[in-house]
Formats: sequence, C-alpha cells, structure tokens
Amino acid sequence: MNDKLNQILKKQQQQVDEPHKKEDDVIQLVGFIIGQEEYAVPILSIQEIIKPIEYTRVPSVPTYILGVFNLRGSVIPLIDLRSKFKMDPAKVTEDTRYIVMKGVDNTAGFVIDRLTEAIRIKSSRIGPPPETIHAEKGMVYGIGMRDENILTILKVEQLLKRDF
Amino acid sequence: MEDIQEILEDFLVEAFELIEQLDQNLVELESNPDDLELLNSIFRVAHTIKGSSSFLNFDILTGLTHHMEDVLNKARHGDLKLTPEVMDVVLESIDLMKSLLHAIRDSGNDTSVGIDITDICRRLDIISNGEAAANVVVTAEEVDESPTPTYEEDDNTDYSKLSDKEVEDEIERLLKMRKEEDRKRKENTSATKAAAVPTPSFESLKDNDEEIAPKAAAEPVAAKRASAEANAPAKKESASAMEQTIRVEVKRLDHLMNLIGELVLGKNRLLKIYDDVEERYEGEKFLEELNQVVSSISLVTTDLQIAVMKTRMLPIAKVFNKFPRMVRDLSRELGKQIELEISGEETELDKSIVEEIGDPLVHIIRNSCDHGIEDGATRRANGKAEMGLIQLKAYNEGNHIVIEITDDGKGLDPDLLRSKAVEKGMITEREADAMTDKEAFALIFRPSLSTAKVVTNVSGRGVGMDVVKTNIEKLNGIIDVDSEVGHGTVIKLKIPLTLAIIQALLVGAQEEYYAIPLASVLETVRIPLDEIYTIEGKNVLRLRDEVLSLVRLSDIFGVKQVYEGGEHTYVVVIGLAESKLGVVVDTLVGQEEIVIKSLGDYLQGIEGIAGATIRGDGRVTLIVDVAALMNLAKGITVDIRASAEAVVKTKTVPSDYIVLAVDDSAMDRNIMKKSMEPIGVKVLEASNGQEALNMLKSAEYSIDAVLIDIEMPRMDGYTLAGEIRKYSKYKNLPLIAVTSRTSKSDRLRGVESGMSEYITKPYSPEYLESVVRKNIKL
Repeated sequence: MNDKLNQILKKQQQQVDEPHKKEDDVIQLVGFIIGQEEYAVPILSIQEIIKPIEYTRVPSVPTYILGVFNLRGSVIPLIDLRSKFKMDPAKVTEDTRYIVMKGVDNTAGFVIDRLTEAIRIKSSRIGPPPETIHAEKGMVYGIGMRDENILTILKVEQLLKRDF
Repeated sequence: MEDIQEILEDFLVEAFELIEQLDQNLVELESNPDDLELLNSIFRVAHTIKGSSSFLNFDILTGLTHHMEDVLNKARHGDLKLTPEVMDVVLESIDLMKSLLHAIRDSGNDTSVGIDITDICRRLDIISNGEAAANVVVTAEEVDESPTPTYEEDDNTDYSKLSDKEVEDEIERLLKMRKEEDRKRKENTSATKAAAVPTPSFESLKDNDEEIAPKAAAEPVAAKRASAEANAPAKKESASAMEQTIRVEVKRLDHLMNLIGELVLGKNRLLKIYDDVEERYEGEKFLEELNQVVSSISLVTTDLQIAVMKTRMLPIAKVFNKFPRMVRDLSRELGKQIELEISGEETELDKSIVEEIGDPLVHIIRNSCDHGIEDGATRRANGKAEMGLIQLKAYNEGNHIVIEITDDGKGLDPDLLRSKAVEKGMITEREADAMTDKEAFALIFRPSLSTAKVVTNVSGRGVGMDVVKTNIEKLNGIIDVDSEVGHGTVIKLKIPLTLAIIQALLVGAQEEYYAIPLASVLETVRIPLDEIYTIEGKNVLRLRDEVLSLVRLSDIFGVKQVYEGGEHTYVVVIGLAESKLGVVVDTLVGQEEIVIKSLGDYLQGIEGIAGATIRGDGRVTLIVDVAALMNLAKGITVDIRASAEAVVKTKTVPSDYIVLAVDDSAMDRNIMKKSMEPIGVKVLEASNGQEALNMLKSAEYSIDAVLIDIEMPRMDGYTLAGEIRKYSKYKNLPLIAVTSRTSKSDRLRGVESGMSEYITKPYSPEYLESVVRKNIKL
C-alpha cells in the first residue's frame, strides 16, 4: 500500500518538475529599441510598461536621471537609457514608453524609444557579452542570437544600481 | 517553550516600566523622606520585580532585589533613616538592576554578562544591618531577619520558620506565580500547593495601606486567584487611572500611518478634481451632492489622520522622568544645590520625536547644572537663593511643542562668546562686531566652542551643544536662546508634533515647485528688487532691524531661468535651529498638507532634498531639506539684483519674433500668415491644440504670440489656452483667439480660459496685424 502511494507521489512529482525543467531552458524577454539597437530584459523583472507621463526634475543628479514620477502613489526615478548609453537625446514620440523595472530593493522607470515584442529564447543561444560595449559597467548580461538579428540582454540589477 | 518566551517578554516590559517608576519615586522620596505611602509603593514595586524574576530563575537579579528590599523594608518600618548616602547605594543598585535587565533582554539570562552584585549586596547589607544595630529599639523581627536566606530558592521553603512579614512576601510571590501560571493554563499543579500554604494574612495591594487584613487561613483558591488578578492593574501604580490599554507593535502603527498618508493624498486629489469640476459645471445639480461627499470625506480623513497620529503620541514625561534622578546625581557630584522643576510633562508628541529629544535635553540640562548654576557660595554672594533652580517646561503652540529649559544661573556672556569664537578662528573680528547678542548666543552650538574654563566630568568639551543642534535640526526644530548675565538662561526648543504628514509652504522657482516644511518657515515677504543689497559678494536684505542673507531657490537647485520675475520678488524667511536665511522664490503657491515619501534607494541622499510628495494634481513635488539648503546657500554667489536686471533682450529685429498660428484649416492659417507678412515676423503652424501644445512644451522655439482657432479636433482652443497658462513661463504669452464664434458667452469663456485677445472671423488683415503688433510690442 505504502509503496504504491509512494510511486504515485513520485510520478506526480515528476510531472510537476518536468515542464519546469523545460521552461528553465527558455528565457522570456521583452525586447525594445533604443537608438538603432534592440535590447531586451527578462520579463519577470518588469513591473509594468506605461506611456510617458509627467515627471519632476530632481536637482544635482547626473543628466541621465530625468527626475521622478508618480506611479499610483509611489515616487519612482526616471532614467533615460539613451543618455545613459551616451546616445544623442531624442524627442518623445507616440511610441516612447517607460518600462518600470523592479529589483531587489529598487524600482525605476526607464525611457525607451519603442517596444518590439515578447521574446522566448533558449539559454544556449545567449552568448557572453563582448568586452567592448558597456562591459565596463557590467550592464550587459549577454548577447542573444536570433534568426534575423542579435539582442543585447541587459542586467536589470545593474541598471537599478545607483552609480553616482 | 514559546510560553516561557512570552512570559519573559511580558516580564521585561513590565520590569523596565517598574524600574523607571522606582527611580522616580526614590528621588521624590529623598525630598519627602516621611512619605510612608510613597515608601510603600516603592517597596511593592521592588517586591514585584523580585517575585517575577525568581519565578523566571534569574537568581542574580532576585538576589540583588532581595537585598534592596531588605533596606526598604527597614525604612518602611521606620527602623532606618533614608539619608542621601543610603539613597546613593539604593540608586546604584537600581542602576545595576537596569543593567541586569538589559542583559536579560539581550541574552536571555542574567549570568552571562558577569555583573557582580556581591559588593553592592554587601553594602546594602551593611546599611540594613549596621543601621539597624545602631538603633536602640531592635525588634525581635529584625534579629530574626539577620540570617535571612539570600532569596527564596524554591517552593519547598520551610514556612514555619518565616516571620510574618516573610510569609506575607511568600504569599505575594506565590500569587504572582499563580498569575503567570494562569497564563500558561497550568493551574492544577500549583493549585494544590498554594492551597496547602498556611495563609495567616493577606496584604491587599489595592488599598495602598499598610494594614494587614487578616483572612481565613483556608481561603478558597479561586477567590485568591481572582484577587491576584484584580491586583494586576493596581500594581501599575497610577492608582486612579484604571485605563484600558493595549500594547501594539510600533510597526503596525507605522503601517497604519502609511495608509493614512495615501488616503490624505487621495483626499487632496479629490479636492482638486472637485475644484475643476465645479468650474466647468457651475450650477449643475449633482455638484451639490458631490460637494457634500467631498467635504465629508475630507473631514473624516482629517479626523482619522489626527486619531492615528494620536495613537503614536506619548507624553513627554517618558523623557522628563529621567531628569530628576540625573539632576540629583549631578548636584551631588558637583557639590551644588539644584532643584529641578518640571511642568507640562503630560504634553504629548510623536513617539519617534520622543526618542530623538532625549539626548539634546540631557546635554542642555547637564550644561545648565555645570555652567549655568553657580555654587552655593557664589550664589549667596550675588544675593540669590542658595538653591539653584532649573525649570523644564513643555507646552503646545499650534502644530508645535515647545520645550523650555530655564536656569537661574550666571547666564551667557555674549562678549565672552564673541571673543572665544574669534580666538578659535570661527569668525572674524568684523563678524564678531556685527553680531547681535542673540547671534552671539547661537555660537554655543558651534562644535568645539566651550566657555568652560575647566573640562569637567560633566561637560566643557564643546561637544554637547553641537549634538543638540544636530538632533533638533533632524526634527526640523528651531532653537531659541535667550540669556541675561547674572540672571540665567532660557533655551527654547520648538519642535513639530509629527514627522510623517506635515504642513508645507509650496513655492515656485521658475517652472518648478518645491515644498518647504512650514515648521521652518518664519515668514514670507514681498520686496522690490532694489531692496536687495550686496555685501562682500553676498545678497542681503534688511528686514526690520535684522540683516538677512538671501539666496535664490532656483540658483541652489540649478533651475533653468526661463523668464524674469519683474520688479518685485517673494522672500521666504526660513529658520532652523539657531540660524535664518531668506530664500527668494518666484511664486508662492500656498500652504498644503503633504505626506512625506522617500525618493527610494536610488535617489537617496540628494543634497537639499528631504523627500517628495504627491500633490493633488498627481504630480510629484520635492520637499526641501532646510538644513541642507542652508549649507548649500553658503556656496552660492549669484548677484540676484544684477542677474535680474541683466536679462538681455535677445530679440531686436522683427524677424527674431515667432508667432504660432493654430488652426485646423490650412486656408485659415494661410490668411493669418498673409496678414502678418507686413510685420516681418516668422510664422509657425500647428493644425490642432495638441500639436501646438507639444511645440510649446518642447521649447524648441521661443514663441512670442499664439493665434488660436477655437473649433479644432483633438484639443480645442479653450483647452489649449488653459493648458498653456499652466506653465508659469507662458503666464504672459499673448494668446489671440481667432474664431467665428461671436456670442458673448463664447468671448467670456475665452477670457476665462486665458486668452488675451478675441478676434472674430471674418477679420480684416490690417486688424489682425495691428492686434499682433500691439501684443508683441513691435
């Protein structure tokens, strides 16, 4: 009796575990464009994506910090990724979005030019970051190889780290 | 196991409370040695601690309390006189008890810290035995008592050998134990034991009297338990106040406070929306109802906020209580006679403030004792009473609590302070000469300035007052010092009642808004620019009989200068601790209740910013950190008057001017363009309100006038005008309505929405031209 029960339980456990294992291999990302390049961040690190709203400038901070905005009662910093990646500033367009990312103890909004799509990518297709780009600040998690293009996958924890 | 933990926690909370009370009562007793009631209550408190600590097997603590109890017992029976020397030892043992309790709290037992009580026990014994021996009347009871066991080790004490008094103690101890055990729901085991105890007498704690009420030996167990429980509240000693209270974790209150904060924001928002709606739908019936709902919600929210704030309030007695003991010790140490008079200790303020205010007060009072009050001989020579007096007073003043520390000592000598400060190189001699006496008094808050000739154990190192200043600044408080040589010193601390939700003055610096805590705002004045003078590169304003440094808020925060203010400007005079500063702002928005929100880890510690708040319109407004602002202001050397006057007119020829034509019809825009050709200005076009607004917002062009059609898709002309007027830099931008709507009400609406001119179609090109010319002054 006991053995039988154990067997059933084991089977059940396997069923629970297996799809999980499969998913472990695939990483889900959200892709977006800044400048000419496509970037991506893990979908689980995104709290929400909103249309541009008004923000308040904060004095004596680096220029890439645009200010703070009100997200349903929370005061959240707004960071311009273009400026952070040392690209030329661009105007706010119809496609501009704020991606609100959540880390362990920080939440911040990031300005991006436009969203692309939700991406599923096998972890085997993600290579280490080339040493040249942004590597000095460790902002890049890896490079995702896709059929038609490549993706720069950003490290959210690093983006949310205060570096001034 | 968990039960024990719970009991232990209860024990600690109770014990700390009791010891504090003990401290207070003992000091009171010293001045009133014949107060038998007081002595009794002290004895009972000590006894309670002994009882519960022995139950929890804290042998060292029990031993110590036992010895102390012996002394108190003698005193209670009139066999021992409580001299200051005896008191010293008793108070010392109380300090030791405190350390033991701390050790128990931290490590769970009283043995691990290695606090040695043998010495103090010996001294206590000497007092109780020695004094007793010197006494002529030695009662049998005392003889009996000398070989007292150090403390009751266990329940198997041989009751037959105990004196009446000790039996009484034992019963009380057992009752206490019973109470604890009730909580554990293990009544049955000890019930039999308790019943077996011979009970010749029973002391009723409730009737604060000494008489022993004899009761039947075989009291029913249940009745005893009931009376033990009835005794519990009475032991709290505030005999009259049988208040029903509940202990709540501070964390929960904090959470509640946060939620209320959200609610206050919501309320502000609702009020703002109601204002907008009221304007738009004037006279509509539903407004009345809406008005009722909004006002009742805002009323309830305010009440709720006050109610929750009150739950966090503690009487300042919590802090004041430790001072009688401190002053007593200090006066003995310094060999002076000092009396401390406390009033207003029932005044309440927020728990977090109560915690912060203790240290500054300790420093101020120590200073008063050491430097303020002179020794007896000097006082006599100066014709003062030998006994020095320090008054500690607390009272409410609006949204503030004021704590006043007054001493009748020798007072502060402003000249001595000036010369000391010059000597130490803190100020130049010129500055010293220019200083008023008040400013000179404020010098005592500078670090490392001490007028004490000798550094004593108590003070004189020049650190204390700096601590006072830092802590009070942290609380957004204000310090005021007043003194008269030979007569004494008054130090006033003015502190806001609460920290989480505050009243703030909202000000505008160019395009941006900031909130200044109202607690730090002394006054606001409107001044003409030519009243600002420059002294040694600093802007100053003569305000009544004071000279005030001025700084522009927009210079401190690096706000872009987009428009000039005109001939008048507003100055917000802020004060913190002992210093003052005039902050020049462009607009005063008004007073509002704001909820302080943190900027989060990412933006923490930005100089000059204390936090943020969300306003009624949903926008974030930054809260100024007044202390940091004062520091930042020192580094700013912009000549306000010169820079305000030197706004150079960059536009000289007509082609520098830009007019924006907003109309959905391309033909109409062309007509406008044609009409303005003779002026020679540049014309930009926008096909709807949204587009025009975006152009203005982007600030790519500096637009000098806008021609606005009313009927447009996406955003109509009225809305556009209203939106434009929200920006302070466009407050004076000419907005010219060009429309076929001719009715009077349309015109009126145009004026309401902020249009400066109203032209009806069809119009002659010359007329439009002349209107534009007039408005851009060409």
